[in-house]
Amino acid sequence: MRILLALDDSAQAMDAAVRLASERGAGLTALFVLDTGWSVYIGSDFLLGSHARGDFLEYTRDDEYSQEHKALAEIKKRAQVAGVACEVKTVASRHIADEIIKEAAQGYDLLVMAAPFRRGLEVMRDAPSAILKAAPCDVLFVRGGE
Amino acid sequence: MEERKGMAQILAIIPGLAVMVGTLYLLRTFVEPWMKDAVVFGQKGWLVQVLSLNYILLSIIAGIIYRNVFFGGKIPDWAEAGFRTTRLFIKSGVIMLGCLYTLQKLAKVGGIAITLISVFVFGTVLFVIWYGKRIGMERSMVGVMAAACGVCGVSAAVATSPGVKAKPSEVALAIATILGFGIMTMFISPFIGKALSMSDYQFGAWVGTGILNSGQVLATCLAFNPTFAPGTAVAYGEIWNVVRVISIPFVVFIVTTWACKAEAAESCATGADKMSLGKVFKDRFPVFVLGFFGMTALSSLGWLGAEGSNTLHLIRDVMSWIFGIGLVGQGAYIDFRELKTAGGKPLKVGLVAGTLKYVVALLVIMFFVSKDASF
Repeated sequence: MRILLALDDSAQAMDAAVRLASERGAGLTALFVLDTGWSVYIGSDFLLGSHARGDFLEYTRDDEYSQEHKALAEIKKRAQVAGVACEVKTVASRHIADEIIKEAAQGYDLLVMAAPFRRGLEVMRDAPSAILKAAPCDVLFVRGGE
Repeated sequence: MEERKGMAQILAIIPGLAVMVGTLYLLRTFVEPWMKDAVVFGQKGWLVQVLSLNYILLSIIAGIIYRNVFFGGKIPDWAEAGFRTTRLFIKSGVIMLGCLYTLQKLAKVGGIAITLISVFVFGTVLFVIWYGKRIGMERSMVGVMAAACGVCGVSAAVATSPGVKAKPSEVALAIATILGFGIMTMFISPFIGKALSMSDYQFGAWVGTGILNSGQVLATCLAFNPTFAPGTAVAYGEIWNVVRVISIPFVVFIVTTWACKAEAAESCATGADKMSLGKVFKDRFPVFVLGFFGMTALSSLGWLGAEGSNTLHLIRDVMSWIFGIGLVGQGAYIDFRELKTAGGKPLKVGLVAGTLKYVVALLVIMFFVSKDASF
């Protein structure tokens, strides 16, 4: 059995994925999607010069990397404590839900993720609904994100 | 998204741009004329005269429909580069608007514009700081909302966030609030303006003062009166807009200084003590405003021809197309899923401050600004 965990800042989703992998002796892969959609999100704004726009995009990029660093460190720590082997993957995309669906189609049996899903601009959208409609495998939504 | 270079970058623009241009062509050639003739509630042209559904609002609506209906909520990769040119179109349009004035005319109306904008911008900043603290909003987000509600909506929020170290996810919510409020005001303002029999001068001054986002000020003025000529709503609204735009660096400086002052130095990107107004001005000043004044200078020197000349006629015709194309693109950046998630304290602050500014500006204009402008 192969389990895919879509990472955001939810400790509950991480715990659920690690627990399931441990109980079932499954392989666990944790996927972090860096959001590159900020440029499009502020794309309609015509007043800012390239300097101000660049500063903001650099700021959001740094924040994305900082969140990636935190989430990966956290899942590795939890997996290690539970004695579960965990592969981590990072991809960059401006469509986070699409990227999760694409990875889930790579032969996984179960996708675990938090609902609501708080990753990048997905805080503004409804990734769980989009994923539920198109998921190629079973999905476990974990409540409890702040 | 994959980075493209050179010719590939230019070719990538074509599909999205073709959609924007084609849409405007259809709207101006078929849809708007049909609406002008259509009889609704027994009145010919009711849709255009009462609801202001001219090609300007129709362009925005078409863009919104593309994004939310045909594109399933996201601009597809094949259209993204083309739709991104919306900024270039609107910016070019704003620069060309400079030809509607002479320096003497700007000086006549500029005084009241500077007074009103200064009072409302800094009044709103102070109100948001007071109200945000009162409802326990995080200081960095109070800073972002103060700038966004005070001066130029999304632009000010984006310009302020790195300095005050606001969380990007919360900035996104603030932007959704500002855009949502702006869209609402964009559609109801022309209706209110006509119901109150406001003159073009009063309307331009009102929306230039009261609407949060600068792009929406232009669109609202053109919805009220789509004519590009001296003395129209867009000509007055743009003077207010330019004054606001110029005030962005000052507001960013003041708000960032305030937000960083009481925080630990490490919590602010720049650190108030290291920040200078000169640096903020250099980094945040929207250079295209100089192009606007350049056009006004050409107009003042008479190099664009006298009123009624073919050159001016051509420039104004081009402007109407440029704004129309740009506004189709602006509409395509409005995602209703994102607007629906606006909530929490940013929504509360945005709604209260935005409504207050909008209503007080209307009252001030109605009671203290005459119908006739000085040019």
